[in-house]
Amino acid sequence: MDYTFQFGDVFAQLPYLLGGALVSLQIAFVSFWAGTVIGIAGAIARVYGNPLARRVTGGYVTFFTNTPALVQVFLLYYALPDAGVLLQPMTAVLIGLTLNAGAYLTEILRAGVISVRRSEMEAAITLGMSRLQILRFVMLPHIAKTIYAPLSNFFVWLVLGSSLAALFGVEELTGRAINISTANLRTIETFAVVAVIYVVLTLLASTSLALVGRWAFRVKAKVI
Amino acid sequence: MFERILQDAPQFFAGSNLLFIAQAMGRTLAMTLIGCGVGMVFGLLIAVVRISTTPLLLPLRALLVLYVETFRRIPFLVILFIVMFVIEPLIPGASLLSIATVSVCLLSTAFLSEVIRSGLESVPPQQIEGARSLNFTFMQSLFMVILPQSWKVILPPAAAFIVMFIKDTSLASQLGVVELTFAGKMLVNRGFSPVLGFGAILVAYFILSYPLSRFAAYLEKRLASS
Repeated sequence: MDYTFQFGDVFAQLPYLLGGALVSLQIAFVSFWAGTVIGIAGAIARVYGNPLARRVTGGYVTFFTNTPALVQVFLLYYALPDAGVLLQPMTAVLIGLTLNAGAYLTEILRAGVISVRRSEMEAAITLGMSRLQILRFVMLPHIAKTIYAPLSNFFVWLVLGSSLAALFGVEELTGRAINISTANLRTIETFAVVAVIYVVLTLLASTSLALVGRWAFRVKAKVI
Repeated sequence: MFERILQDAPQFFAGSNLLFIAQAMGRTLAMTLIGCGVGMVFGLLIAVVRISTTPLLLPLRALLVLYVETFRRIPFLVILFIVMFVIEPLIPGASLLSIATVSVCLLSTAFLSEVIRSGLESVPPQQIEGARSLNFTFMQSLFMVILPQSWKVILPPAAAFIVMFIKDTSLASQLGVVELTFAGKMLVNRGFSPVLGFGAILVAYFILSYPLSRFAAYLEKRLASS
């Protein structure tokens, strides 16, 4: 094998790639928070809802967690035009990832809600705490401790999962890597650099999330 | 949309298409099973090396940490591209399916080694000290003391990760491996309604992963109480 690695062509495009990393982060960020809204509603429906609401959210979670996000986005992107709705690639990816994230976040948040023990709620009521006080001083500390680590892991997972947007022509990190490598034909070098960017990006994300968790919720989260 | 589905349905559910989907399902399953089998074996090896404390293995441990942390932090799509462009010049005739399988192996080894390591670490150190004072060798204490107690901690998350790998193999369609997702694309390209094509593929994935995720939930409940 005589192959000389030439990283020069790739390093010249580093600003372009880092811009793509920013787009990846944006996709992850939007679908995370939109998914959290779905997740909160879903978790409340699953824990406190009537049997019908429980069934519906249960079905939603089971379906979306057992099928690949890629095929879900395919369905959105290629099937909706039949019904007269034409989605931009970015919109389709965001909707697909949000629905997918909502299902996972429902499960994570549900674990948080049920981590509050009934006896503690009763004790809080006996002490004459108001609803807001109960939420703030009894429920939230428990919920935060249970869900913070899985939530930050899930955010990292979403950053990695956002790479599927490249297959629809969205120019995020992987998409831009594909663009560059088809132009300069330095595929291995390009993807090696992109891999390093992903590692640094997710390490930064999990480190800062761990620091925030330690500072705000006193959660001891491991980075590695 | 609905007229088109109704119009396509009789032809879509003809035997040949279903057989095609079933074959694609077999490929998806094969990639996942081989990947997870290899991942379990190598993951166990990595986990054992990582919990060992000999200074002799320190460089190897550092390398393994680097491998595990890197592969857990790269999207599977990027792993696929890198593996493809590394393997293709080295082994010219390598099939796309084998390239995708190697990628799944690399991914699953990294993730499962972490699961197995946390399982091994869940065994209280007194047990290992006890085994050592009874003059057990490292292998004996691993197979007779540590593993029998740690599989309870390992199995539920491992099953959940296997469900994740089933879903991740859908990205291999991008290389051109004719697994479920690619089969769906081919059916849609043949002119069938996308709702039918991708809908059938979603159902096929569901059939593969639902029993496994139920099994994972069952294990979690059952093993947690004991």
